[in-house]
Amino acid sequence: MILILSVFYCLMAIMPLFVGSADYIMNILIMILIWAVIASCWDVIMGFAGIFSFGQVAFYVIGAYASAILSVSLNIPPVLAIIMAGVITGLLGVIVGLPCLKLAGPYVALVTFAVHMTLIPFLRGPLGRAIGSGGAQGILTIPPIRFFGFAFSSGHLVPFFYLTLVLTIVCTLLLVVIIKSYWGTAFLALKDSENFATSLGISAFKYKLMVFAITSFITGLFGALYAHYVGMLSTKMLSMDVFTILMIMMVIGGIGKYPGVVIGAVITVTINQLLAPLGMYRPLIMGAIVVLLVLFLRDGVIGLIQNLSRSQRKFTEKNEPLKVAPKGK
Amino acid sequence: MFLEIIDVIISGLINGSVYALMAVGLTLVYGVTKAFNFAYGSFYNMGGYFAWMLLIPLGMIGGYFSVFFIAIPAFFIVGYLLEKVLVSPLRKYDDWEMKVMMLTLGLSLFMDFGYQAVFGPRIKSLPGIIEGTIEIGKVVLFQQDIVIFILSIGGMLCFGWILNNTRTGMAVMAVAQNPAGAQIVGIPKDFIFAATFAISTIMVGLGGILLCQKNFIDPMGSTNIMIKAWVITAFGGMGSIRGSLYAAFILGMLEAFVGWYFGMIHVQIATLTLLLATLAVRPQGLMGRE
Repeated sequence: MILILSVFYCLMAIMPLFVGSADYIMNILIMILIWAVIASCWDVIMGFAGIFSFGQVAFYVIGAYASAILSVSLNIPPVLAIIMAGVITGLLGVIVGLPCLKLAGPYVALVTFAVHMTLIPFLRGPLGRAIGSGGAQGILTIPPIRFFGFAFSSGHLVPFFYLTLVLTIVCTLLLVVIIKSYWGTAFLALKDSENFATSLGISAFKYKLMVFAITSFITGLFGALYAHYVGMLSTKMLSMDVFTILMIMMVIGGIGKYPGVVIGAVITVTINQLLAPLGMYRPLIMGAIVVLLVLFLRDGVIGLIQNLSRSQRKFTEKNEPLKVAPKGK
Repeated sequence: MFLEIIDVIISGLINGSVYALMAVGLTLVYGVTKAFNFAYGSFYNMGGYFAWMLLIPLGMIGGYFSVFFIAIPAFFIVGYLLEKVLVSPLRKYDDWEMKVMMLTLGLSLFMDFGYQAVFGPRIKSLPGIIEGTIEIGKVVLFQQDIVIFILSIGGMLCFGWILNNTRTGMAVMAVAQNPAGAQIVGIPKDFIFAATFAISTIMVGLGGILLCQKNFIDPMGSTNIMIKAWVITAFGGMGSIRGSLYAAFILGMLEAFVGWYFGMIHVQIATLTLLLATLAVRPQGLMGRE
């Protein structure tokens, strides 16, 4: 896991040396970094904790809008606004998570997806306009991030890329530590058998809320980062094809096979950019890709690699002379 | 004021009856196959486009009568094949529920943009099933509304009768209660799964044909319908047919009143608030069993 991740981030870190002048490619790289973290969060909540949360895009958008509103309407400096947006999203994650604790799988999917669907009329309607979401037009003038007088705007992509990279590595490390620690084991135990895990003293309440809080915090943070990167927001971010992109990352990477989604993000963002000239047919193809991948790619890329290495091992074992283990030990 | 309220109640009743038809289909398919179908709204639009295609460009003789006559077997075949090709291969995996959700979400996107590619992004309108009005005192009723109400309630009662009185219907109920037990006594489980999926496709497709006459066919409106059907099912209690019947009428009324009093943009917020409140207080829904 750590090997794949470190190879990936090292490769990403040296990429600007070769393509730093091409804004088009730099934009793709930045989006890969952002999506990789969001997809990882989804993998942690869905693959590890086994909660069918379909509100990941909603949290992403909440983070983006929260930071934009804070920095545009209240004139809070972007760095502070991003952190506050993360905290707000984390709190909302806990609020959404609370009713989900009592519910069975599909109901959780319904409730979290309902949050996603409510956001669209909320942000476009008079309620959203009252808090400064800009209604159907969206927010157009989001200030770029400033550090000691240096602006990380979309004009200079290379500094922004490294800022995103640093944040990405920090958040990825956090996720890895969580997965490897006692908490990660607790999530897995709750996923496999909730009754048995609670009988061993693992509090379902505490850990499920915790996973909601952490993943929505990180997702909100990156949503906010995205808002200050592109400088404008609209409810288009909530459309189904954004959701599908996230889902394709998950399916390509394999559900619950953690570093897989990072590879999934690389592949998906690239495919999405390549399909962009097709216009209206792009979401059509994306939908078809999801259906085919779910049917034929069982555990994603990681599953494929594991299967390959397993069959290789079987092959070598078959050709080796049979060793009889001493019995009665 | 009084007449307006009567109008709102009537529109609530019509919407409620069609929602009931769709929600009963959904609760049936969830209760029996345990597959969470995110593409349900796209089947609704399929019904609308199917009727539009037969009536407007093809100019089918016999009007809606022949539409229903062709639609029921056609939707059965579509639903049956989709279950066989897409859903049943996933059943052998451990996390098949999650996979079915993802697959149907992808399918829904594919279908929605497929409609857009084939029929164009504009909304389309269907001709009414019957023209003319009836006046009772000062209240004016559209004959179309009455026919829609009768057809959807009649269709639902018909499905209810099939479920309770025929051998196939009882087999469906048996599989819903205990799939393994049903298989032991010789019920073809896989066929029942596919048939239930197909029947639910018919029900939502008919709902689409009926309701699209009043609400237009919107290629991007399928997510709304899907959420509505799921909210009714969850609100009434998953797997409880009577519960979803009540829930459909409550939601139809709520929608009509909120839309009339606060404006249409608040309808969805009200619907989902109702869902969250219900699930927070009564996680198993209105009539669901623990």
